[in-house]
Amino acid sequence: MSDVAKDKAARLLRKTGSFSSLSSYDVKVKESRRKQKDSMSTVSYMDDPGHHDDIPRPTQQMENTYQLYPTKYFPGATVNNILKDVLPSYLQEEKYEPELCRQMTKTISEVIKARVKDLMIPRYKIIVLIHIGQLNEQSIRIGSRCLWNSNTDTFSSFSFCNQSLFAVANVFAVYFE
Amino acid sequence: MDEYQSGEETAFIVDEISGIIKESIEAAIGGNAYQPSRVSQWTTSVVELCLSQLTKLGKPFKYIVTSVIMQKNGAGLHTASSCYWDNNADGSCTVRWENKTMFCIVSVFGLGI
Repeated sequence: MSDVAKDKAARLLRKTGSFSSLSSYDVKVKESRRKQKDSMSTVSYMDDPGHHDDIPRPTQQMENTYQLYPTKYFPGATVNNILKDVLPSYLQEEKYEPELCRQMTKTISEVIKARVKDLMIPRYKIIVLIHIGQLNEQSIRIGSRCLWNSNTDTFSSFSFCNQSLFAVANVFAVYFE
Repeated sequence: MDEYQSGEETAFIVDEISGIIKESIEAAIGGNAYQPSRVSQWTTSVVELCLSQLTKLGKPFKYIVTSVIMQKNGAGLHTASSCYWDNNADGSCTVRWENKTMFCIVSVFGLGI
């Protein structure tokens, strides 16, 4: 039983290259063996080398703006339209293939982030999350909860499917106070 | 004048967060086999358990917790995320968990206030 688990772990570790966000930072993978052999978990995160070992907060101190609320709120409807535009245009004709979809997720998330940045909404941080999967008569459920200020922060979501694949895109916008 | 607490209290510590996530997943769905009728309730409970544990840390962060539960059926899944934020203040952590019948992927994004 432990040999099977070790094989699985080796396979998973080799595959972790496909589970990383597009960034220029290193992806570190740690693997931890659970006591109950029937479940396994892996952690991956993107980290700047020496990120948390540096002197914390080396950035310059900014003056207070005394601004409580954003001057311009995040336009959820516009972002929805961006998602409706980008996902079908990239994926309408595509068939599910592991290599293609690996590149596609990274590309689409960068494209959506760039288009949302072009909207130039000040003081908002953006998180774009893309899931692309194969349609294989299986079931999948995606859920999220956020702890934020619902007056200023919002999200946008869109899902798309064709004959062989499905794609779900989530954009979260968080106001930086 | 304004003394921002910098250092341990305001850093996004991945190890700590990943430990919390793993415990939450185990508590919510550990030992269960995939059942379509219960999966909706499972995603909710995984996410809410994670979020409540994170708030107990008392750090000045806004959190976004996302979970994906998928049945093991030989199908492939790719996930990518792209973030526009401040690297010194913000961070993310993703944990993949699996058992014999399903996968669970939980992502936590922490944005410093």
